[in-house]
Amino acid sequence: MDKNSCPVADNIKSLSHVLAQGRISLARGRQWAEDILKLMKDAASGRGGPDHFPAMEAFSRRLAGEEENRSCVEIGRMLLSELQAHREVFLSHLETRNCPLGDCIALSPAPCQMACPSGIDVPGYVTLIGQGLDDDAVELIRKDNPFPWICGLVCTHPCEFMCVRGRIDKPIAIKDLKGFAAERAMSGGRYRNPERAPDNGRKVCIVGAGPGGLTAAYYLSLRGYRVTVIESLPMAGGMMMIGIPRYRLPREVIDREVAMIEDLGVEIRYNTRLGRDITLDELKKEGFEVFFIAVGAHGSYKMRIPGEDDYPQILDAVDFLKRIALGEHHMPGGKVAVIGGGNVAMDAARSCIRLGCDEVTVVYRRRRSDMPANEEEVQQAEEEDMKFSFMTAPVEILGRDDRVTALQCLRTEMGNVDESGRRRPVTVKDSDFSIEVDAVISAIGQTVDRIGFESLADLEWTRRQTIRVDQASMMTAADGFFAAGDVVTGPATVVEAIGGGKRAAEAIDRYFEGIPQPKMPPVPVRRQQLDCLEVPAAKKMSLTRPRMSMLGYDRRRVTFQQVELGLTEKGSREEASRCLRCDICVRCGACADICRNKMGVDALQMGYLDFDKRGQTDFRIAAERCILCGACAANCPTGAMRMEDRGRERILSLCGTVLNRLELEFCNDCGAPLGPARYHDFIKQKTGGIGATIWEGNLCMACARKTAAKTHGENMPPIA
Amino acid sequence: MTFRRGQRVEVFRKSLDESWQAFMDSFIGSHGIVTDPDTAKNDPDALIEVTLDEEGTHRFPQDCLRSLEG
Repeated sequence: MDKNSCPVADNIKSLSHVLAQGRISLARGRQWAEDILKLMKDAASGRGGPDHFPAMEAFSRRLAGEEENRSCVEIGRMLLSELQAHREVFLSHLETRNCPLGDCIALSPAPCQMACPSGIDVPGYVTLIGQGLDDDAVELIRKDNPFPWICGLVCTHPCEFMCVRGRIDKPIAIKDLKGFAAERAMSGGRYRNPERAPDNGRKVCIVGAGPGGLTAAYYLSLRGYRVTVIESLPMAGGMMMIGIPRYRLPREVIDREVAMIEDLGVEIRYNTRLGRDITLDELKKEGFEVFFIAVGAHGSYKMRIPGEDDYPQILDAVDFLKRIALGEHHMPGGKVAVIGGGNVAMDAARSCIRLGCDEVTVVYRRRRSDMPANEEEVQQAEEEDMKFSFMTAPVEILGRDDRVTALQCLRTEMGNVDESGRRRPVTVKDSDFSIEVDAVISAIGQTVDRIGFESLADLEWTRRQTIRVDQASMMTAADGFFAAGDVVTGPATVVEAIGGGKRAAEAIDRYFEGIPQPKMPPVPVRRQQLDCLEVPAAKKMSLTRPRMSMLGYDRRRVTFQQVELGLTEKGSREEASRCLRCDICVRCGACADICRNKMGVDALQMGYLDFDKRGQTDFRIAAERCILCGACAANCPTGAMRMEDRGRERILSLCGTVLNRLELEFCNDCGAPLGPARYHDFIKQKTGGIGATIWEGNLCMACARKTAAKTHGENMPPIA
Repeated sequence: MTFRRGQRVEVFRKSLDESWQAFMDSFIGSHGIVTDPDTAKNDPDALIEVTLDEEGTHRFPQDCLRSLEG
């Protein structure tokens, strides 16, 4: 067998070949081999269960035990040897419904799930929300991410960028649906922890109670480890708590989800900073065998301009946001300049507005279109009457009597393309001007603070001042030390830190168990296979992405109340039904190909199938052209395209989207369903030139044969 | 060049940057979308998050990426 192909798919192929060649002469042996093949096909299509592997072994042993039949013995032994050699792969197919090599086509995770750094089964939970099962949706999400509510509010949602629906119109509002379900489950008291494995007595210390650290704590605790988290702040959440303003992520949301993790027995020691309040040696003496470093990136870059260190009203944005999160709600000044064009700059500036500052100006040295902040952040800042000074470079902070009075600036213009391939802003000579301010907030990037790790000589650091790890296992160069989150990636996203924490928990468990570490990051696990929501094609096409309700502008300017108010229940259920269920349809195009090129019907207009070259999509076209021949369904490798007779109708659907439904015609003689009139017309048209039909009514094949035989007997003279 | 959110890119070569890991060799030639560029200051040296078609989400040094748009 090929080393780079899936053993499950390979065995299906070879056993099918054996059976097709008739190599098993014994009838009962053939039956057992066919049963093994069925079980293997179940494993390859996500329909298997825990009994499948033992059953495959049992049938193979029976085959091998037929000592009087050589073919049975040979094939039985071959199957047993294959099952033994690839036991883990077979079990992994059955347990995770996942084929890491992608050969078992029905087991490919959907693009949205593949895109999620924490690997959430997106189509699964979106479908559950569509069915009204919000609690089950949250339970499903927490198998891969312990923070569904937080991510439902602040995730950068890479899943939505890969959402196939986005190739048709707008991607599914995956993030907002998650937030909706989590809030509903929490408010209904149905947000529960899974069962924890029995205590295994092993102690793990996690440094930092941010998203990465708490995720690792959650999954390690579920596996029975005794987890202690040390946190320098008086509250948990890390950058989620002190870096993201409350109008985007309310503190209660973080507190509730952190409390769920503490309920599993995770101890969080607040106000405890490594190197200041406790040392690694002291922690080792407490019995901690493994350490997971997730301290984030809380340092800030300096602007390196005159006056920067001379006045108390000059703040760095990370520190400013942290002070607000810790409860300090004083205006930094009446007129504030925020330097930078990124997300942190927007957060700092919008927080200033809420603290009552009269005038907040964002100073950025490039154009608006060059701003690295998320577009929605910039738009919301504009709605809140933020001022922007684009193409402006600060050159000095001026002041007197220990107070800032102005920010001295130069105009910039976009210069020539530099070695990195981008146009760098250059200052314009004699373009000096000043902005009258009484506070300046610098938001030009964050760094990792290395304090506390000096004693750890084996720990390797990159030139970006982040900890060097193996990305597949999050192992550092120091034995027993793992790391993830911003301390590894530099300032990144909440969901990446969660993904890193989850990966580290798996690697720490392997470390304790002495199992070799993986060489590749994990492929997400398909947790469930749910039936599709049935939606007519017209509705599927006409539903639009729901608009998020927002807090009024006036309220936004004076409070830290949550700005995004969440989706409505109706909007959420409808949004879930826009999902194309790419966990079932793998977009191979076999259906469209056979319809167009073999049948010549061309009823499937699905331009979204190609990732790079998108075309027009309209599911409604099928109802105009489709003859319900069933060729597409018969050739679909995953069962995404289905044709079924229901009552007096034949229905064609793609992952629940009803593409066509037509009245059936029935056999005039026995009443068996025959197919719709449009299909019969198509056949008549194609076969019209071959010869005359003997019967004008509708007959099924069996009745047609009977009638033909009768006519034949009446017309032909008996043979002498 | 400056990479922006939502931009379609290709991993067109191996990077010599220290952040390149062995498993990333298999991504050369893959297409994807920039999902989290450097949101602080457009630093050409920053690692940026790219979601590859069917290959997951990873942080890459920018010298191994090229735009597939215009």
